[in-house]
Amino acid sequence: MSFIIRRFRPEQIRELFLVVLIFLVVVFFSIEIEGYFNARFVNRISTSVVVVAILAVGQTLVFLTRNFDLSVGSIVGFTAYFVGQQLWHHPEIPPLAAVALAIGVGMLMGAINGVLIAYGRVPSIITTIATLAIYRSFLVEYSHAVPITTNNLPDWIVNLPPLSLFFVGEVQVRVLFVIMALVVLGFQALLNYLPFGRRLYAIGSNPDAARVAGFPAQRIVFIAFLLSGGLAGLAGFIFLARFGNISVLAGIGLEFASIAAVVVGGVSNMGGSGTVYGAFLGALLIDLLENSLFRWQVISEFWRDAILGMLILLAVAIDYVVIGRLRVIWARAGLQMQAEASSEKPEGTVHVD
Amino acid sequence: MTEPILELRNISKRFDMTQALDEVSLSLYPGEIHALVGENGAGKSTLIKIATGIYRPDQGEILLDGEPVQVSNAQEAQAYGIAAIYQEPMIFPDLNVAENIFISHQDRGPIVRWGKMYNDAEAILAQLDVKLDVRMSARGLTLAAQQAVEIAKAISLNVRVLIMDEPTASLSIHEVRELFKLVHSLASQGVAVLFIGHRLEEVLAVADRVTVLRDGRWISSHPREEVTAEQVIRDMVGRDVSEFFAKETTQRGELLMSVRDLGRRGIFEGITFDVYGGEVLGFAGLIGSHRTDVGLALFGIEPADTGEIRVKGKPQRIHSPQQALKLGIAYATEDRRLLGLNMPLPIASNISLPMLTRYLSPLGLIRRRAEVSAAERFRQRLSIRAPSIMEPVERLSGGNQQKVMLSKWLNANPRILILDEPTRGIDVGAKAEVHQMISELAGQGLGVIMISSDLPEVLAMSDRVLVMREGKQMAIVERALATEERIMTAAMGHYDREKGVVQ
Repeated sequence: MSFIIRRFRPEQIRELFLVVLIFLVVVFFSIEIEGYFNARFVNRISTSVVVVAILAVGQTLVFLTRNFDLSVGSIVGFTAYFVGQQLWHHPEIPPLAAVALAIGVGMLMGAINGVLIAYGRVPSIITTIATLAIYRSFLVEYSHAVPITTNNLPDWIVNLPPLSLFFVGEVQVRVLFVIMALVVLGFQALLNYLPFGRRLYAIGSNPDAARVAGFPAQRIVFIAFLLSGGLAGLAGFIFLARFGNISVLAGIGLEFASIAAVVVGGVSNMGGSGTVYGAFLGALLIDLLENSLFRWQVISEFWRDAILGMLILLAVAIDYVVIGRLRVIWARAGLQMQAEASSEKPEGTVHVD
Repeated sequence: MTEPILELRNISKRFDMTQALDEVSLSLYPGEIHALVGENGAGKSTLIKIATGIYRPDQGEILLDGEPVQVSNAQEAQAYGIAAIYQEPMIFPDLNVAENIFISHQDRGPIVRWGKMYNDAEAILAQLDVKLDVRMSARGLTLAAQQAVEIAKAISLNVRVLIMDEPTASLSIHEVRELFKLVHSLASQGVAVLFIGHRLEEVLAVADRVTVLRDGRWISSHPREEVTAEQVIRDMVGRDVSEFFAKETTQRGELLMSVRDLGRRGIFEGITFDVYGGEVLGFAGLIGSHRTDVGLALFGIEPADTGEIRVKGKPQRIHSPQQALKLGIAYATEDRRLLGLNMPLPIASNISLPMLTRYLSPLGLIRRRAEVSAAERFRQRLSIRAPSIMEPVERLSGGNQQKVMLSKWLNANPRILILDEPTRGIDVGAKAEVHQMISELAGQGLGVIMISSDLPEVLAMSDRVLVMREGKQMAIVERALATEERIMTAAMGHYDREKGVVQ
């Protein structure tokens, strides 16, 4: 027991719980729906989860600092449209340059959020609600309400979504999924192994202490929003590739999907705890449920959103009750270990004057 | 004499209408422990915040090794070797001990090497003779342990000036001694320590030099051996005041509550005592003795799971604060800021909050006038100093906040009042006032349970003292027999089960 407590944090147990839950969902629908679980289904999920999962990674960075980024839906819409339009008029743009353009535009928008929040001290919920509306209006103004369609785009981007790197049996390992996997792994490593990552946790864990701790807390919050914007730009590019048809409504609601994913994934809305893996698992669980409920005739489509809403409430309840309990157990065990350690001290060090 | 490491010269700082600091100067020499004392509002905190770069002075300069420097944020202060430890340790609860120690480091390479970090953290803690698991999450640490982590952090940053802002406010006597050992060993390594404290005897025990501030002005600086406690108090308040008010003898009234063998699994056990009207029962013990948990159990916040509580002879299971209030039990928490008061709300709203149903009109709306008049009564009765009872509590001094909290619970007309650290963090004058108030309340027939880490306070105020150690009741000492030594022996000694006492 004490080994478990020393090596693991309560949050990791929660992630294990999510994996089990995803497994149970698959088992449940396999029983309910004939021919549910097959390679085609895996391929579909692995494509549809990508956009929200990448947004959830950015949202996690921001959440860890006890902030929100509600503007990501509009950033996705704008970058998807902007990059699509550039490719329409300049089809010679190489693929990597198109990706870089998307990320760059997203970072620019994220930087605006970051400056206002980190240096202007405007609460993130206010800032990003405002920029959510502003970036969307940009898109409307910029596009003159002319949609982009698949016909306008170069072939390489239209053919990107089904493009696979390799196969495992009939399961395709698609390029977009690999990009997402690299983002998840890369950012998890960043959280674990870069001082920047650890300080994100520190800031959300105790903002007052972060202010006096002697590391550049403002800059770190700024970078979190910058990265969230950049990842939203990347997601915008993938959104463009997946759907091809981009109107002024593109990406609406993705900010809530990404927040749902991180909350279900156990990233605390009070900052300081959570992982990118968890956020990915949250995105996967939601996507899995959406796709499964769609095929499950028992439940009408109007109830699907309600079920997702309940899932979010359940996730938050688990956070407050289960994680709270686990933390108490952890803290008590810790105190006990501390007490044991200090009772090893020779009695002679304790004296009464 | 050697040159000072850090010199603050003629520092002035103004906030809106208040002159927080007015031409204050202070020099810190290597290896010296310099105590800074003064009542709340004297400007100590502002001075510290200027030295650590959180505020900029309006006027005056900061010299480091004789060179004028600009300290404009915590990072720069850290680069100059100036670090501060606050009353509430500034730790990150979601990070572990080692991460907390190294979180501010800029020099540990671009990648976190976990293994090396744990080893280095262990080495620093060993150097300080602190036994802590470096992998443990900081969330579970005691305040004393959190402070040890902060000191370890300062040492790891090669600190030259360490500012300690009331580090002992939440520590027990034993922990204070351990802390002072750390402070002395830091000073012997040439670190200049600026020590801010409220408990005068502690300050005088540890300091080499004592500087007093009052109302934002420098009053005096003396080498320790040239001052007496009385003189320091006189400098602080500008008049003669004794630090403690001893409880007056009161008539022991009826038996209000008797507690038998109370326990909560894994936290405390075997707590047995009686509370009579007119009496103050002190709860003494080191931090980690779980005195507060007994208070929480009696008030139903964290209910007990074994034993018996009888209120006026009737056995009761107290499982919620509402129920405790109905039984006439009120509990004023040790943490005014977090649990006790709603800081942005006015005094009146804070006082009426637990008893809000009493102020409802038949339509279920709050009758503001009744609320206000009740608050006004308490303002006079407890002499709360505030421009109006509509003043937000956050603008009051610690002592006055404490009085608002007392009013809030007295408004519930309790028979038994549990006070947890009633004078923590409040200044000398207000402390004596709170003591006098407690004494008067007992005189009116209330039974008071006073949990306190301030041993002289416990001795001055209690009719009987219940001493706890690690969740166990060690002894109940009568006032006549209660001495500091006897209580400390009980608090740290061995428990004799047969006799039920310590020897």
